[in-house]
Amino acid sequence: MNDWLNLLIGLAMGLNLVALGTSRLPSLIRVAALQGMVLGIMPLVIEHELRLLAVAVAIATVAIKGLVIPALLRRAMRTANIDRDLHPLIGFLPSLLLGAAGMIGAVVLASRLPLLPEHHESLLVAGSLASVLAGLLLLIGRSKAISQVCGYLILENGIYLFGLLLIHSVPLLVEGGILLDLTVAVFVTGIIVDRIQRAFDSLDTRKLTVLRE
Amino acid sequence: MMMDWLIAGAVIMLVAAALSGARFPRVWLALTLAGTATLLATAFWTLGGGAEWDWRSSFAVGGERIHLRLDALSAWFLALVAVVGGGGAVYARGYWPDCEHPASAGRGRTWWSMLVLCMSLVLLCANGLHFLMAWEAFALSAFFLITLERERRETRAAGWLYLAASHAGTLGLFAFFSLLATKTGSWELGPMRDHAELAPLFWVALFGFGVKAGMFPLHIWLPSAHANAPSHVSAIMSGVAIKMGLYGLVRFSGWLPLPAGAGWVVLALGAVSAVLGAAFALAQNDLKRLLAYCSVENMGVILIGLGVALLGTANGDTAWGRLAMAGALLHVWNHGAFKALLFFGAGSVLHATGTREMSRLGGLWRAMPWTASLFAFGSAAISALPPLNGFVSEWLVYLGLFDAAASHTRVAVAIVPATIALGVTGALALAGFVKASAVVFLGAPRTQVAVHAHECGWWMRAPMLALAGICACLALAPAAVWPFISRVLVGWRSAWSGGKPPASLITLGYTHLALAASLTVAAIALWFRSRTNGVRRALTWDCGYALPTARMQYTGGSFAALASGWFGWVLRPERRLHWPRGPFPRQADFVERIPETVLERVIGPVGDAVMVASAWVRQRQQGSLPDYILYLVAALAAMGALVLFGSI
Amino acid sequence: MISILEFLARLAVWLFLAPLLPGVINKVKAWVAGRRGPPVLQLYYDLARLWHKGVVVSTFASPGFIAGPAVAWVAVLAAALLLPLGPLGTSLSFRGDVILLIYLLALARFCTAWAALETGSAFEGMGAAREVSYAVLAEAAVITAVLTLSMQSGSVSLSAMLTPSVGPGAVLLAVGLFAVLLAENCRVPFDDPNTHLELTMIHEVMVLDHSGPPLAAVLHGAAMKLLLFSVLLVQAVLPIGELSVAAASGAMIGGVLLVTVAVGFTESLTARVAFRRVPLLLTTAFLLCVFALLIAWKGGAA
Repeated sequence: MNDWLNLLIGLAMGLNLVALGTSRLPSLIRVAALQGMVLGIMPLVIEHELRLLAVAVAIATVAIKGLVIPALLRRAMRTANIDRDLHPLIGFLPSLLLGAAGMIGAVVLASRLPLLPEHHESLLVAGSLASVLAGLLLLIGRSKAISQVCGYLILENGIYLFGLLLIHSVPLLVEGGILLDLTVAVFVTGIIVDRIQRAFDSLDTRKLTVLRE
Repeated sequence: MMMDWLIAGAVIMLVAAALSGARFPRVWLALTLAGTATLLATAFWTLGGGAEWDWRSSFAVGGERIHLRLDALSAWFLALVAVVGGGGAVYARGYWPDCEHPASAGRGRTWWSMLVLCMSLVLLCANGLHFLMAWEAFALSAFFLITLERERRETRAAGWLYLAASHAGTLGLFAFFSLLATKTGSWELGPMRDHAELAPLFWVALFGFGVKAGMFPLHIWLPSAHANAPSHVSAIMSGVAIKMGLYGLVRFSGWLPLPAGAGWVVLALGAVSAVLGAAFALAQNDLKRLLAYCSVENMGVILIGLGVALLGTANGDTAWGRLAMAGALLHVWNHGAFKALLFFGAGSVLHATGTREMSRLGGLWRAMPWTASLFAFGSAAISALPPLNGFVSEWLVYLGLFDAAASHTRVAVAIVPATIALGVTGALALAGFVKASAVVFLGAPRTQVAVHAHECGWWMRAPMLALAGICACLALAPAAVWPFISRVLVGWRSAWSGGKPPASLITLGYTHLALAASLTVAAIALWFRSRTNGVRRALTWDCGYALPTARMQYTGGSFAALASGWFGWVLRPERRLHWPRGPFPRQADFVERIPETVLERVIGPVGDAVMVASAWVRQRQQGSLPDYILYLVAALAAMGALVLFGSI
Repeated sequence: MISILEFLARLAVWLFLAPLLPGVINKVKAWVAGRRGPPVLQLYYDLARLWHKGVVVSTFASPGFIAGPAVAWVAVLAAALLLPLGPLGTSLSFRGDVILLIYLLALARFCTAWAALETGSAFEGMGAAREVSYAVLAEAAVITAVLTLSMQSGSVSLSAMLTPSVGPGAVLLAVGLFAVLLAENCRVPFDDPNTHLELTMIHEVMVLDHSGPPLAAVLHGAAMKLLLFSVLLVQAVLPIGELSVAAASGAMIGGVLLVTVAVGFTESLTARVAFRRVPLLLTTAFLLCVFALLIAWKGGAA
């Protein structure tokens, strides 16, 4: 069980790097969606017996993170007619190297943390830290509003991974709340994106600094 | 007894050479060659198993009796001093003759002998005070050699920079030796590993010797000094003089107790010097500056070896530390040989064309076939390509690194990045030397000066051939020098005894022989095959363009642009570009300059700030008496306040 | 006597089987595109024809123009002979032979770039610059991969390093080495060996001015290099040394064919990336090797 979980987490960590290295908006959205789906099936791997609640949550997560949110983002991208190339503030190569360094750092840090013995062998904490770092890096290093949403998604994936540590004590309540917040946030961003596009003909967040009352 | 006479003879001959240099060039050459040959003989006598030579004078100099000692480690470096010292003397006769440089040739000969003598004394001195004296005299003779062509502004600037940096390092050494003398109660130098309180002194020594060795952030003086000095001086500076800093590091890391972090820091400095030195070298457009930065890179390789060795000693004298140290020591000789060869080659180009600017050269192989082939040989050797000598020493360092990594101990944290850094360095150095040799010697001549180049004379060719021969011997019979290395290793660290060369080193030697033979055979065979099939000369194919000119060739700058672009964060190239505009553009130009990042971006601004502060202080020093009395009163009041309120 | 025969057998494998690989790749590409394609043995015909042709040498070129390809060819062949051939083993094995192998490939690179710059052509200069620059990143990946194998096996000689499999990091290492293989052999997505636009080439543009026997040496050397990397990749990932002779031979041949077909499919299904994206791709290969290294390290320490 643990091996499968670690494999999935490893996959998610790899997707972090892909997200940092990609230069096209659609593939960034696809990566974030894929990572969401990978994370979504994790509760099924962790739980010893399949309970209805876990299955329901897994299905909901996969559906929302893997299908609904990406569909919303794609729609926003299409309607706002955005240039598909990402214009990085931090170059792709440096962000890839930073992400990899952060990943190694996360693994080292996780092995130093005082964790429960049953979590020592799993990559949950390391994967969580790495995803949070990758998400932050995307937020800092990419300028488009939609790529920022993808950064938030990956950041949230990291928090979700951390939440999986508590799966036995807190029954996915936290995750449900976050997911709800995020969905709303994506909706709001989608609408704002549309409005900004109509008003400014551009979606570069750097240009939002000229907004004043 | 014989050693006493030999060394005394060598010293006397070198002093006599220095005295005769100004007036009698032939006498000078004979005396210098005889002196260096004697030094070489003593060095090999010691390396070959002769007893350690130890001599004390009955009289005192500066209150201390002179104490000279020649052990295997000193002898290892002494051999290098002797070879390049002698070779450079021959080269100087062709390169810096009286007829071309009437004002400076005599001075150059005098200081050359002085430099060789002082470096030998640095290696021999076993007394801290005399070590410092010899060190200072060595630094000064190098300064006078660098500024031989003192009518050029850049040369003077380079000389002053060298002098300033060198003295900053000497200041560190003053601190080091005087602290050492205070703590041990004597200026005598020797093994003192049992004084654990001496360990922090290693950091002071690392700074003092590191400036001379040109390790990365302290290398600021090196590129301009090596580029602007006459080429035979550049050769001895780069091949030998910077090794004196390394000698100090190796010597005192063998004698002193080491702080816990020593190996880690040396390894990190080595890796940084290696990679950044190679990156800076690749980006240069000045042939000699490129070679100078390459010295930084090679010192980095040697420091990586030394760092691994220090880590090895800290982890129970492991075998991998011994291998890496052997590689570092062998690289000292190798780098001395091929770097001197390359600087001699660069000097021959400079002599023939009058420029070091690579973008003005090209196609020189036709006019200078000897220089071109020897330079190509040196380039392949310094890029650590088998079957040449640079590869043997890097191979030993690699073996040490790989074994250390496979030991699965804590050191692997530093070893793994250092190994990757060494690999990247190798590839960067290869790119840099393909650029240097190809842009200068291949293709079509880019300017008129390159068209009218001429081959160098035998005075200059002979030392290059000799150095190439040394490189070839070290490459094909590496196991033959192993007994020497092993003796140096035992002297450095007594736990590392055992004389037999590693079996793989012997195999590598045979492999090199087989490789060299088959490379030659293949080249000749292909040449014959092409000849029998018929060789036709035609213009280079350029996509059918009818009017190719030499200026359309790829330049050194464009060759390096791709890889040096990845190091833009540290190279910080300054570009000025005027685009061509309109259908008949009047002018369009592109200027690129690679600044000395550490000097211009770090030390320069700090120096400016100090100057501003000093200027402000100076305004308060107008020489008016009332002001000074005011300062006096203020100072008294401040002290009074301190006494009054400080005690409460 | 036996050892000499064995050596000759190994030499024959490298010399005579290497030109098969480009043929297989081209066949796969033709099959994917629905064409019939050139015969698998096309490169043999080409080499035989070139060997008998005359040579055209640029007016600027020195004798190094012909010596360069010869030296590069010997260097690649020597590197190949150092590599164990599965059950055939190796003719020469010593500690640190893997470093010699890497630097022999560097020697080949030096000579190819040197010969390219002999002509003074801007195109060839461009190709040589790209070759030596991208090699910097590829070298980092190769050194890391070798370090992984060395940490895994605790040895520095090829025959011992390639015997055990790499364990859990094998997939990462395989992908990383495959990317290095594509880059070092100038295949799509790093370089397009079939393109006709000199501005976009790396390796092919360096040999534009070669002809006759020197060109044959260049082409044969390139084929041997491809076989070398395929054999290295297969042995690094599969535990060849732990199988019986028949199984090992089968695994070797199958593995090399699989790699070749994979190269063909990659070429058919992907486009050459823009030059500014090449460093990113090579860095990814390097990072994959780094992660394989970390896994090997952790596995070894436990």
